[in-house]
Amino acid sequence: MTDKKEQKKFINKEKINIDYDNIDVADIMDQIKRKIATQPIKPAEGDLKNEAFYSSFGPSPAGSEEPSGTKAKAKKLLLRVMKPFSPLIKVMIFPVHQETQNNFDQTNRRLDFLNEKLEGELGKIHEKLDHLNQATNKRVDLAFEGLNKALEYIKLLHSLSHNIVVELTKLKIEQENLKVKTRIMEKDFEFLGRKEKAIEKEIFK
Amino acid sequence: MKLAFVVQRYGLEISGGAELHCRWVAEHMKKYFEVEVLTTKAFDYITWKDHYPREEEVINGIPVKRFSVTRTRDPRKFGRIQNYILENEHRLEDELKWLEEEGPYSPSLIKYINEHQNDYDYFIFFSYRYYHSYCGINSLPQKSILVPTAEHDPVIYLKIFKDLFRKPRAIIYNSVEEKNMINSLSQNMDVLEDIIGVGTEIPSQFSSEGFRRKYQIEGDYIIYIGRIDENKGCHKLFDCFLRFKDEIDSDIKLVLVGSNKLKIPSHSDIAYLGFLSDEDKFSAIEGALLLMMPSFYESLSMVTLEAWALRIPVLANARCEVLKGQCMRSNAGLFYENYEEFREALGLLISSPGLCEAMGKNGQEYFKQNYTWEVIENKYLSILNQLEKEK
Repeated sequence: MTDKKEQKKFINKEKINIDYDNIDVADIMDQIKRKIATQPIKPAEGDLKNEAFYSSFGPSPAGSEEPSGTKAKAKKLLLRVMKPFSPLIKVMIFPVHQETQNNFDQTNRRLDFLNEKLEGELGKIHEKLDHLNQATNKRVDLAFEGLNKALEYIKLLHSLSHNIVVELTKLKIEQENLKVKTRIMEKDFEFLGRKEKAIEKEIFK
Repeated sequence: MKLAFVVQRYGLEISGGAELHCRWVAEHMKKYFEVEVLTTKAFDYITWKDHYPREEEVINGIPVKRFSVTRTRDPRKFGRIQNYILENEHRLEDELKWLEEEGPYSPSLIKYINEHQNDYDYFIFFSYRYYHSYCGINSLPQKSILVPTAEHDPVIYLKIFKDLFRKPRAIIYNSVEEKNMINSLSQNMDVLEDIIGVGTEIPSQFSSEGFRRKYQIEGDYIIYIGRIDENKGCHKLFDCFLRFKDEIDSDIKLVLVGSNKLKIPSHSDIAYLGFLSDEDKFSAIEGALLLMMPSFYESLSMVTLEAWALRIPVLANARCEVLKGQCMRSNAGLFYENYEEFREALGLLISSPGLCEAMGKNGQEYFKQNYTWEVIENKYLSILNQLEKEK
């Protein structure tokens, strides 16, 4: 907290020219915008490291010593390995004007800010989705429970229907058997009738 | 000549922009013409639920006729319909449904206007976006004058309004930006028009020292006056101010005045005073270093004019075209689009009393040239004279 307080800046009064007798707001705002655009920005530690890393793939500065022996071999090998990435590396080590660099940095900071905001929003959306998911799961579980009950009921009905069909088939067969028996008995009765008449004829002769 | 001022709400308790604007203009026109106000019984601008029991009353010498709101607004349903029409292809019927849902839905008010059209010479409708203006102007275009109080929000692009702005006999704008926006939107340049706005009532007695004693405010402070909610950009103001305090060594305080609908950050240099009387409000403005206007949408910021009337400069949100335009025309305010600009502009104003003084002086001159009641009244009289000549 104390460190933070120590880091606080005093208001910078420099660089804004104001004609107090003839105030021009648009001009003041232009000056403010220009001032913001030229404000120095400390490069991050990581950027410095990257610069050092990529500078090893760039052309050697004039007057510098040529690497020799194992170092030279290692460099050659590294250059061969990194050859496919050379256009990208060139772009990354390309010297950038300070103002453009500042603009990049500002853009990056804005992007970081937007990114943070987006992450916050995404977090909220995830939270909402989790709630939604839980609610949906509960509903799905309930629906499955209902479906399972219905399935059991259908199985019972199916079994019952099957049994009914079996019983009906049995009854049908029984009915057919009885019909056949009835016909046989009818024929036997006819035969006995005819036999009776024949016997009567023989008796009364 | 008899004028009817038609507005969504009306009452001494209502401090909302268009409603207060209407009341002040009506009270000033009373000197010249017979004036009546036609309005609803609503007080709450979210639901439009009937609040005032009496159908007729007199407020500050002006007869007010109130009509019932038949159907209150369901905010959820309204939100759904608005989202639908703003995000999807839709039919004219959908927009009319939106309008009815937005309200205040008072068919009896429109019926009265139709049945008593011969009793009045002109109907002056305030706020283009509400039911009373749309239906009133469409039923009586030949006697209508519109004061749109339009902001640059998405609903202005609805098809129903494109035609609406071509219908009245005259349109009275609040600012150049509002006029340009509506002209380009509906190509209504043949309608009689003027940029008038509204004056302001400055109490005869107020004292910044008394205010500081009463509310125990010490040191330099910047002030925000108005509804404290997201629509007014207050959340961004809090972010910027807290970051400014974190980065810059300054004792400046932020004083907030108005009804609160947002969580105010707890910070020793942020003071929320609630709703103040006019006397305290003007005392607070007079004692401030500058007025903050973080709003994204404004048709005409009355509090900005009040600050300028008291020689106080303004720091406004540059994303609001009207505020930026007013600052540039008056040379009485700086504006910011992002935190960096906020920091530099506020820093500059805090550290340059000469700049604040010069900008305050510009603001007061701009106010005197454009927004004293004498100027406003003359402009209204001029536009009514022109309409009479065209009869």
